[in-house]
Amino acid sequence: MTTVNVRPAGHGLVRAGRGSFLVHRRSALVAGGLLLLLAAACVAYLCVGEKSVAPGEVLRILLGEPSPSAFVVEELREPRLVVALAVGAAFGIAGGLIQTVARNPLASPDIIGISQGAGAVTVAAMTFGLTSYTVLPYVSIAGGILAAALVYAFAWRGGLHATRFVLIGIGIAIALRSLITLFMTKGDYLVAQQAQIWMTGSLNGRGWDESAPIRWTLLLLLPAVLWAARAQRTVSLDDDTATALGVRLGAVRLGLVAVGVVLASVATGVAGPVDFVALLAPQIARRMTRTAQIPLLCSALTGAVIVVVADLLGRRLFSPVELPVGVLTAAVGAPYLIWLIVRSRAVGGKT
Amino acid sequence: MSRLQARELTLAYEDRTVVEELDLAIPDGRVTVIVGPNACGKSTTLRALGRLLRPAGGAVLLDGEELAKLPTKRIARSIGLLPQTPVAPEAITVADLVSRGRQPHQAWWKQWSEEDERAVTDAMERTDVAALADRSVDALSGGQRQRVWIAMALAQETDLLLLDEPTTYLDISHQVEVLDLVRRLNRLRGRTVVLVLHDLNQAARYADHLVAMKAGRVVAEGPPEEIVTAELVRDVFGLSSVVVPDPVTGSPLVVPGAPWGAEEPVRS
Repeated sequence: MTTVNVRPAGHGLVRAGRGSFLVHRRSALVAGGLLLLLAAACVAYLCVGEKSVAPGEVLRILLGEPSPSAFVVEELREPRLVVALAVGAAFGIAGGLIQTVARNPLASPDIIGISQGAGAVTVAAMTFGLTSYTVLPYVSIAGGILAAALVYAFAWRGGLHATRFVLIGIGIAIALRSLITLFMTKGDYLVAQQAQIWMTGSLNGRGWDESAPIRWTLLLLLPAVLWAARAQRTVSLDDDTATALGVRLGAVRLGLVAVGVVLASVATGVAGPVDFVALLAPQIARRMTRTAQIPLLCSALTGAVIVVVADLLGRRLFSPVELPVGVLTAAVGAPYLIWLIVRSRAVGGKT
Repeated sequence: MSRLQARELTLAYEDRTVVEELDLAIPDGRVTVIVGPNACGKSTTLRALGRLLRPAGGAVLLDGEELAKLPTKRIARSIGLLPQTPVAPEAITVADLVSRGRQPHQAWWKQWSEEDERAVTDAMERTDVAALADRSVDALSGGQRQRVWIAMALAQETDLLLLDEPTTYLDISHQVEVLDLVRRLNRLRGRTVVLVLHDLNQAARYADHLVAMKAGRVVAEGPPEEIVTAELVRDVFGLSSVVVPDPVTGSPLVVPGAPWGAEEPVRS
């Protein structure tokens, strides 16, 4: 028999100085593919609109050449595209981390109360007359983190139990949702309408200033995300096995949830709870890479693709009426996920 | 000599005390088997020896140091533990799972070394799962899966190996296969092994040192041929039996007496 390729099947080894890093080959390929797809989606996003700009023209503008369309591309579309990218990536990572800790593919920020926490506080603030898009993000970030802390505190009983975490999250999400409904019915009609749009998730009117929190958060949390990508490996084993392997499970889980919650809260603060991105992106990414844990980079890229494409469709589908991006994210991601699941069943059935 | 010891160990779940003031010394380089009836605290004791359960009183000592005060990663370089029902991540491959046993020897910037490669290859060959390297763990039979888990624990390369009922859910040939494997590891590599088993005959056959537990206490401990008697079996399991020498190994073989209430007249 020939030598067995033992190095965890399908991985490559990257050496850098004294460091050595395992890279899952298929994940690297998928990430490359997703990057190309994302680049194409971004160019399309910048081309399409009230005024169409040719792809070549867009590329020239991006390279800094003067053009009569520069204003439309750089001032109107690009800032919003950046918001879409950042929000999608943040939701993709956040969903992956929370699903890992909850050991449940159905757990995501919009299921376990983070979106609802952000929503309740934001809608309350709107009802009391606070409507500035520069202040509201910080209000909803605080709401999301507060709700997550509440869930974590209730689910903690000498250790974090994954199922309890999800169930308590769902319970708190329901309670907060009724709070939102209360605020919306009590509040002014116009405020309620504005809150409803916010609750759906919209990128309308978001520019450089509004996207500052999410851009900074992504940048500052990058080291934490790199740590999380590796730490996820051990958390995906059962508690006893992970502990036996020397993992400080409580601390690692808290770290993973904290990174996920901050990203989800900030993204929600900027764009509202864009439904399904955090739920779908990690699962789509994992099915493409076929890894044992959720691939964070691919999940971030998938999230970004979903939000960019959904917002592109939302802007143009029923133009001049614009649909909020949250209406379309599920429509973009869900069919693909269903197809992946159905296909993997068929493959699994043969073996 | 004993690297791993329990001293006045009291273990409890919430406020239900399961093990009380237990003293135990695991002999180095030997196979120790803990037996006892269901709910006697044998698995609980093993979990405490592997720091999965924090003592309510007393302490577990590793090389004289209290386990609860050692960093968990350092413990993982000395003690390997396989829980009763480990759960593999969905769709993980055999080689990937086995290589996770290297966790305590790795760091974020040192994810794979020659040493890791050697240890994983060795563990997989030893447990005879090398040919399954690229298969998904989900798709394996129970016996194969158990061997893969043992391979993972072996890849950890610890001097002490704790296994919690490694033969559960396996048919008899796979049970023997797993226990023979454990025995070989001990004989060829000098690993100290602690097993929890509920089959008294298997325990007597594979143990150098047998620990019989009942209701959270050690009733008897020593070489099986010295301690396994009809009295002990009655005392620990409440079963009347005849103890004869095993025709193959000579170790004590417990044959339950008085089947189907045989004292009563047989109805025709």
